[in-house]
Amino acid sequence: MHHLLPLLVALPLLGAAVLVATGRHLPRIAAEITGFAVSGGTAALAVVLLLDSSPPMVEWVGGWLPVGGESVGILVVGDGPALGMATLVSLLTLAALAYSWRYFDQPPHGRTGTFTALMLVFQGGMCGFAIAGDLFNAFVFFELMSVTAYALTGYRIDEAKAVQGALTFGVVNSLGAYAMLMGIALLYARTGELAMTKIGRGLDSAAGQGGPDALVLASFVLVLTGLLVKAAAVPFHFWLPDAHAVAPTPVCMLLSGVMVELGAYGVWRVYGTVFAGPGGIPAADLTRALVTLGAVTAAVGAVMCWYQRHIKRLLAYSTVAHTGLFVIGLGILTPEGDDGVALYMLGHAGVKAALFACAGVLLDRFGSVDEHALHGRAGQLRATGVMFGIGALGLAGLPTFGTGLGKAITEEAVGGPLTVVFVAASAVTAGAVLRVTARVFLGLGPRPEDAEYETSGSDEEPETPGLLGRIPDTMTIVPAVLLAAALAVGSVPGFGELVARYVNETGSGGAHVSVHWTLHGAVLGVASTVLAAALAALAVTRPRWVAAPDWAAPLRRLQSGHVGDYVAWLLVGATVLGALALPGVLGG
Amino acid sequence: MNRLRLWLLAVGGAGLAALLVAACLDLPAFGGRWHPYGDRAVQASLDRHIANTIASVNFDQRAYDTLGEISILFAAVLGCVVLLREARDEHRAPPEPAEVARPVRRYALLVLPVALVTGLYVIAHGQLSPGGGFQGGVVAATALHLLYLGADYGALERVRPLGVYEASDSLAVCAYLVLGLAGVLAGTAFLANTLLPYGTFNTLSSGGTVPLLNAAVGMEVASAVVVLLAHFLDQAVEIEEEHGS
Repeated sequence: MHHLLPLLVALPLLGAAVLVATGRHLPRIAAEITGFAVSGGTAALAVVLLLDSSPPMVEWVGGWLPVGGESVGILVVGDGPALGMATLVSLLTLAALAYSWRYFDQPPHGRTGTFTALMLVFQGGMCGFAIAGDLFNAFVFFELMSVTAYALTGYRIDEAKAVQGALTFGVVNSLGAYAMLMGIALLYARTGELAMTKIGRGLDSAAGQGGPDALVLASFVLVLTGLLVKAAAVPFHFWLPDAHAVAPTPVCMLLSGVMVELGAYGVWRVYGTVFAGPGGIPAADLTRALVTLGAVTAAVGAVMCWYQRHIKRLLAYSTVAHTGLFVIGLGILTPEGDDGVALYMLGHAGVKAALFACAGVLLDRFGSVDEHALHGRAGQLRATGVMFGIGALGLAGLPTFGTGLGKAITEEAVGGPLTVVFVAASAVTAGAVLRVTARVFLGLGPRPEDAEYETSGSDEEPETPGLLGRIPDTMTIVPAVLLAAALAVGSVPGFGELVARYVNETGSGGAHVSVHWTLHGAVLGVASTVLAAALAALAVTRPRWVAAPDWAAPLRRLQSGHVGDYVAWLLVGATVLGALALPGVLGG
Repeated sequence: MNRLRLWLLAVGGAGLAALLVAACLDLPAFGGRWHPYGDRAVQASLDRHIANTIASVNFDQRAYDTLGEISILFAAVLGCVVLLREARDEHRAPPEPAEVARPVRRYALLVLPVALVTGLYVIAHGQLSPGGGFQGGVVAATALHLLYLGADYGALERVRPLGVYEASDSLAVCAYLVLGLAGVLAGTAFLANTLLPYGTFNTLSSGGTVPLLNAAVGMEVASAVVVLLAHFLDQAVEIEEEHGS
């Protein structure tokens, strides 16, 4: 079975190559069916492998089995988290392709299947990153998914915003990738190994009794910088709103639903296998670094989310806020935290992809994603409105959504004052989405006034050949299925336990964690939802009370759209990361 | 804002620079004898009768990384096709034939076949001598563009049917993947180099599947570079913005 692991990468790539080779002669429907078959087939393979992944599988690509404990080959891991991520990637790609079925305008004309092929390469890249057990190989697939994502983000070249967003995305993420590569070079110089587990052991034996030194710290900072850029942690996050607001909707579903989460997953994987030993970075330092960055990310994401009127930008900032929560949950390094975040990611993927899908419907129907301009105009889109509202409740963590279960478990694991961050971030982001629902779909409250420094979201080009008169069924069914899946993650009895078992088998030596709804978690979930509803009600009825205060203006101006600023912040972020992890190195 | 920007850059840059300097002081001394991976890679390469260890690392030991790399190139080409297409406010104008100085023309046309053959040689001898599919592919692709320098854009376009190059780019990726999948079908492993005999050391047919993977990469890189340059040249030479819009 383990020989089939690399096929998670090979199948989508093969599908893409065949589509490009035959694209000029294929009718669109044939290209799309090929896309479904390939991404669906890969998803099925991922599920089959996932069900077989206990005990975890390992594959040496090319059959380079270790001789005397040493190998020159590349290691691919097939454990629960890796295959779980690959499954999520594949299912979400399938959903995004189904959403773009027939109606999505797919230039360049005369090259049918180019869009589908890019989506398949994106899927292959993300699957490859998820199952990588070799640090350099992880970098290669990190680059593959990035390159594809830049092209997909800038897909609608007739809009200057799209090209600008893709360029920012490309510059910042490439710098992150270079940082990561430099970190890998330092680790290779120290250990002479590239497989993650071997690097970890090499660091331990090189450190001896001494503990980590400056080289280990630098490599830790550089590798994590790359991964946290992808995870959009503050202050590496600036690219995300600019890119997600302009990318085509099906691409947004993948970017926010799973690519950003893969960055957080990468942090978990790399810390656990490379830096967790005595020669790596002490646990207390990692916790300090990740919890600090995560809390700031959640706060900044939530505040910025609240003050957006461009609906896709608003959703993008809510992704920033939620990845902040994921980073906190992973940073505390407990089995409960890992399990909670895994469930939270699954639920969030469904909810966020569904919300983007609904925003896409607004774009294609009205040519606008502006909360103010659309005030009261979308009343007849009943199904979309209901789903948008349900998505908001999912973001808040209402029981029994998967997001709710994941959040409850993570909150309990984190404990203490950080619980406030979880409740507040989810309530504010969900409140913002509920506010949009109330204004756009229900037409409640007065039409809000325009303020300065705002990206409006009016005058957008629809992604269909013209404005839609009637919403096609696929654009309604896909978000409905995604929401149902997010609900199922939290409600199907035993699913949480299953996820926990798979995650802990790799992450924490098979620790047993009881994962189920507790009264405490459910109460906090309901509290977040009530708070979100209250915020939304306040915003709709008394807009002046919750208008942007003066102190929020500089925060908004930081998002300048100037690539140079973002690069400067990236450097600052790397320095902060180093400073946060420094005590352990000095003490060692 | 400008001042804040400079402060951020100064603080971030200084912090990162300090970290990197500190890390460099801990690097192994120059010219050491301890090369654990290098020793193993050379041994593995000799075991499979591959004279050029780099080729063995690229197309055998770490062929899976190379799959990722050619996919990056493939995705980049696809991305360029999408991003550099004709925008709504642009149109195509056939370029005017250009006057080329006679020495330039003669030199370019003289060097073209030499460069092309050199590129193909470098690809073909990938597993024997320095070079291989990546390097030879770039040489072969750029050789064609001497026609642009020596004659004009129209002449280049005649020897460069883009559809063919785009198809061969993707077919080369297919070939690489199929060679990899053959290993799975044979019951060994993806990209396993165990299907073909390793041949005689230091001959063109040595190394099992290495020459085949190398050839696929050469074909992919050559076609990809032609297509990439074509789209950039189109932007520069043929595609013009509509006037008055």
